[in-house]
Amino acid sequence: MATKRKGSITELSKPAAGTKRAKADVSSDEDAVDGDELEEDLPDEEEQGAITRVLDKFSFTGTRERSSTIPTGDAVTRLFKRDELSFLKMKPDHESRPMWINPRNGKIILESFSPLAPAAQDFLTAIAEPLSRPTYLHEYRITPHSLYAAVSVGLDPKDIVAVLDRFSKIPIPDEIVQFINGCTGSYGKVKLVLKHNRYFLESSDMKMLQILLKDEVISEQRINSDAGADGDGITKESAPKMGALVIPGTKIAAGIAQGQQIIHQNGFEGEEQSKMDSAEELFASVTALKEGEEDDDDDEEAEAVHSFEVCAEGVEKVQKQCLTLGYPLLEEYDFRNDSRNANLDMDLRPQAQIRHYQEKSLSKMFGNGRAKSGIIVLPCGAGKTLVGITAACTIKKSVVVLCTSSMSVVQWRNEFLKWSTINPDQIAIFTAENKERFRGDAGIIVTTYSMVTNSRTRSHDSQKMMDFLMGREWGLLLLDEVHVVPANIFRKVIHSIATHAKLGLTATLLREDDKIQDLNFLIGPKLYEANWMELSEQGHIARVQCAEVWCPMTTEFYQEYLNETPRKRALFYIMNPRKFQACQFLIDYHEKRGDKVIVFSDNVFALAAYARKLNKPYIYGGTPQSERLKILQNFQRNELINTVFLSKIGDTSLDLPEATCLIQVSSHYGSRRQEAQRLGRILRAKRRNDEGFNAFFYSLVSKDTAEMYYSSKRQAFLVDQGYAFKVITHLQGIEKLPGLAYDTPAERRELLQTVLLENSQNADVNSIEKESDGGFFDRTRSDYKRGPVVKRNMAKLSGLSGGDTMAYVEQNASANKKMKVAPGQQNKFMKKLKSEMVKRARG
Amino acid sequence: MSAQTMKGFEQLEGLPEAVFKRLYQQPATALAIFRRMLPNLAKTFVMAMLFNPDPVPISNLEHWVHPDKNSLKEEAFAKLRQLYLVTEKQGTFALDPTFKNELRKALTGGGLPGSFGLPCDTDDKNKVDVAFLDKYATEQWESILHFMVGNEIPSFKRPSEGVVRLLLHGKLMEQSRMSSDPVITQVGFSFLLQEANSQVWTLLLLYLDMAEQVKEMNTNLWKLDLIIIICASQLRMDPVDILHFLFLLGSLELGQDYDMKNLTPTQKGMLEDLRDYGVVYQRKVCNAFEFLTRWISLITLKSSSRRFYPTRLATALTSEIRSIRSPAASLQNATSQGDGNGFLIIETNYRLYAYTSSPLQIAVLNIFAKLISRFPNLVTARITRDSIRQAISKGITAEQIIDYMTVNAHPQLRKNSPVLPPTVVDQIRLWQIEGERMKTTPGYLFKEFSTTSEFNAVCRYANDLGVLVWADHNKGNLFVSKHEQIADYIRKRAHAGR
Repeated sequence: MATKRKGSITELSKPAAGTKRAKADVSSDEDAVDGDELEEDLPDEEEQGAITRVLDKFSFTGTRERSSTIPTGDAVTRLFKRDELSFLKMKPDHESRPMWINPRNGKIILESFSPLAPAAQDFLTAIAEPLSRPTYLHEYRITPHSLYAAVSVGLDPKDIVAVLDRFSKIPIPDEIVQFINGCTGSYGKVKLVLKHNRYFLESSDMKMLQILLKDEVISEQRINSDAGADGDGITKESAPKMGALVIPGTKIAAGIAQGQQIIHQNGFEGEEQSKMDSAEELFASVTALKEGEEDDDDDEEAEAVHSFEVCAEGVEKVQKQCLTLGYPLLEEYDFRNDSRNANLDMDLRPQAQIRHYQEKSLSKMFGNGRAKSGIIVLPCGAGKTLVGITAACTIKKSVVVLCTSSMSVVQWRNEFLKWSTINPDQIAIFTAENKERFRGDAGIIVTTYSMVTNSRTRSHDSQKMMDFLMGREWGLLLLDEVHVVPANIFRKVIHSIATHAKLGLTATLLREDDKIQDLNFLIGPKLYEANWMELSEQGHIARVQCAEVWCPMTTEFYQEYLNETPRKRALFYIMNPRKFQACQFLIDYHEKRGDKVIVFSDNVFALAAYARKLNKPYIYGGTPQSERLKILQNFQRNELINTVFLSKIGDTSLDLPEATCLIQVSSHYGSRRQEAQRLGRILRAKRRNDEGFNAFFYSLVSKDTAEMYYSSKRQAFLVDQGYAFKVITHLQGIEKLPGLAYDTPAERRELLQTVLLENSQNADVNSIEKESDGGFFDRTRSDYKRGPVVKRNMAKLSGLSGGDTMAYVEQNASANKKMKVAPGQQNKFMKKLKSEMVKRARG
Repeated sequence: MSAQTMKGFEQLEGLPEAVFKRLYQQPATALAIFRRMLPNLAKTFVMAMLFNPDPVPISNLEHWVHPDKNSLKEEAFAKLRQLYLVTEKQGTFALDPTFKNELRKALTGGGLPGSFGLPCDTDDKNKVDVAFLDKYATEQWESILHFMVGNEIPSFKRPSEGVVRLLLHGKLMEQSRMSSDPVITQVGFSFLLQEANSQVWTLLLLYLDMAEQVKEMNTNLWKLDLIIIICASQLRMDPVDILHFLFLLGSLELGQDYDMKNLTPTQKGMLEDLRDYGVVYQRKVCNAFEFLTRWISLITLKSSSRRFYPTRLATALTSEIRSIRSPAASLQNATSQGDGNGFLIIETNYRLYAYTSSPLQIAVLNIFAKLISRFPNLVTARITRDSIRQAISKGITAEQIIDYMTVNAHPQLRKNSPVLPPTVVDQIRLWQIEGERMKTTPGYLFKEFSTTSEFNAVCRYANDLGVLVWADHNKGNLFVSKHEQIADYIRKRAHAGR
């Protein structure tokens, strides 16, 4: 992907965008199109190259060659191409061990019904990417990134191999050992620490630093300090420990609150270890091993870290250079020793008890008493916000929170006030409407990505706000829904805001392109990923029954569908009357059960048509903020409003714990993430702990259309998480529903006419509405192709005349001049007329 | 007893009465038919009548059955009549006397010595044990299956010409134009998905079928092996004899050597073939002269070795235990304790994990799943729309695939009910019906009614009868599945009108 983008770097160049769009058009029938994706300036070529190099170095391609000589197999060997591994030797006691490792691609298969499985699962989530986690056999894959994450939470390659060996049915293949050593050898060995506001490169391995120092670029940036410097100018000190750091809200914190003195001799992990059940002992033993070593070696040398200082301006260069050298820097923030930045006085409220998995994820982040940058992946509704708030309360410095929409900005602020003791004056909002600052030296600013990354001209106020944001140092940067922003926007954010630690939060760390990989280097490793099914079983998120409802196309619609070009087909399968009936039936059925129903439609025309026909409220990008809030409040409290229709603005960060049933009418092609995010809307259902409670997720699909294909693509992620989609081909009793819409052929024909009209009027009905605030994130590619789009909006006269801080800019001043016809250049007809007149006059 | 085994027996049920009467002359056969071919209720009835000297009134038997289960009762009666086991006289049932006699013998241990096989009275110099027999049976049988899926495996030898001929005869395989080796047919694929016991039966019944047909052929003498079969036919390869022997095999004891002395010439000839299937083991004298010795043995009625050992395939023939799923599994059953015969785990994400190292099982999986990787004891695969559609295009039904997966489900899956994840099962079925959009209903079109009222009346009448398939009220056309009554009705109306 990097190679394709090579070209201009600085400007958001039109031709480049054009070529990319052409690509997008070709693939628009596939799933690759991603709505939230930003069109952003092109990546720094050099840097991308470096990343690719690093990635290449640690793929398995290199190791594959060696072992290509396989003993001749049997008759079915040829059925497996590369992954014929029957020559591997099993351990004699393999039955009691739970996993297999594929030496060719690092894939691990785990028997989840083995008694050792819980321990193995804990361990594997730390060192490998979970690929699929259904009921019986889970699949993981060891990747360079996952090892990077493992190293960053403090695991040693030796221990990784040892524990893998303990769980594996087959002896760990050499390829895997080499791979692990190869990756961990370079990852996380060097840390970038911001200490007393000076940047240090820190490593426990002296040689590593010496290698780095030999590099010209890095040595240039080095600051030689006299004190404590030995021959190389490398300082030595003892390694940090978690010591008495307490993450608020955890059990330990609760213990302290009760006045019990707990002395943390062994640091947090030791504490945690004592709490572990015997089943989890194995995983714990990894850390125990390490601590055991610590005890043996009283010599300070063993745990000493070496460091040298680099100047603040050179940090970026050093980071880049280290990446090129293959030693990506691990960023850590020693916030307890940060004296320059003012402390923010806030704590979690006593009633906030964080759950075990939240605690686990945070302990990964604060593993050694410093704050690591990274990403935490939790299912929607599992309390990501609280994790973010707890992290902020642990660091107790100024925080910037970035979210996707102004709606979630408000929610984040409210959550902060709800869960922490922060003074309301100290938490400010920065959006298009609201530009305030907090009072005091330290505080929290909640804003959207688009506000910060917007490179277009800003209003005076927001410019001032931006200067404020960029002019100071921040303790923590919280990135909500971290997946929505492609890596290159991040760079901009990270560069523009000086921050010590970065924490990304998301439920769905996946994109249809492979940019997700870049996040690993740019934000940090994935620190934790929760298991959806496990949380659901423990009652932290709701149990969901998923169903795919197949709606046959009516003959007339199918005929038109087939006659239309693929681009324009969508509206026919979305507006399929049978689908409408299914939707009506399901709404009716679930409202009678007492469910609160959300209906999603990406297509705004369909959204409005469905909602109006069924007489239900709907919200889309164009709905004013106040009306949105009113509808949502009614939905939550009013017993008469049990259904609400949402466009894709409701996909993420919308907190509606009342909703228990979700119906999806139209969606964004094959986006796995959208499906997961939408499911997330009902995972936090309030009633989830009721006996036998089930939330419902329906996806309505028109049979025999492209939708079927997209649908199976979309479900891939959830299915791998262990969700099962039941196919419903016929809804029992749908014919008997009183007042069933479009029941007569005449009605259906009428609907078809409307759809045809709509299709012909709108050049591109596929275009999905943009979100009004920001207006940046939901731009589809087609918008860029067509250039400026004329849009009709409702507005107040006072607003249009500049009342609501609106300002007019003349975009294309020279265009008017062109309108004037240069003298002498006249229309042909007029010329002819003139000449004729002249002739006549002569004649 | 699975549906598939029952299917195999339908062929037997069509045999003429005389054949049955002759079949019942052997106690082993009577017992086997009793065990294998009767539904449970019918067995109860037979037991009730067995030691009763007088005919039993039908009403008595009916009293035993709960009124709700009348269909079961009818099925049982039907089966008894079909097999000519009972004669009905004035509302009473009488058990066929021969059958009665022989079954009594079988149960009480009376009758001639050796009617359940004659054990050898002398010790075998090269005695073989059960493990050897199991290995032999598995190898022989799997070599046939392997041959069918087209796997040439060094350790398994190619099955004999007789076996190939049988497979070709049963249309399990057919001669392809592309290669000299025959290739598997659609019938063959569904054969592979059956459980082992019914596979054995299918093959043995095919054998019976072939033996009968060969009787009618006289002239084709162009292949040496055929001569032997012809010879067999000259020796009157009697179906009853064959069946007797098959049923007898089912009641033999595993690990015991039996003497051939008591066997008829037909049965002795059969032994040679059964040896190829792995159903019995018999030491061979010399491979190079096999054809010759077979031929000679048939002529001279002198065998290479006097003793034969039934294998597990044989002794399981008339047993009802469903646990015998494959020779390999039955072997495992014999050697290890657990219920470790299921090896398939299917997940809700359509991934399939098979705890197997058997090339045959892998080859079978390959029929309907996309194989991904293979560890020494585990194969990972994936069920996709394409893989299922491909299987279906080969003539395998979704039900067969689902059956196969259910039968072979891993013990972990067996804890669930239903055993397989319902979403996957549904999806496989849906993939099958995806291709079945068109449904044909044979029937008759009525058109050009004189009046609308007549059309409506006929329409209503047809609907009441339940024969109306389709009606177009505008054009006055209707389509029915049966026309006689409709035609009558129209005629009647016409008369009445006049």
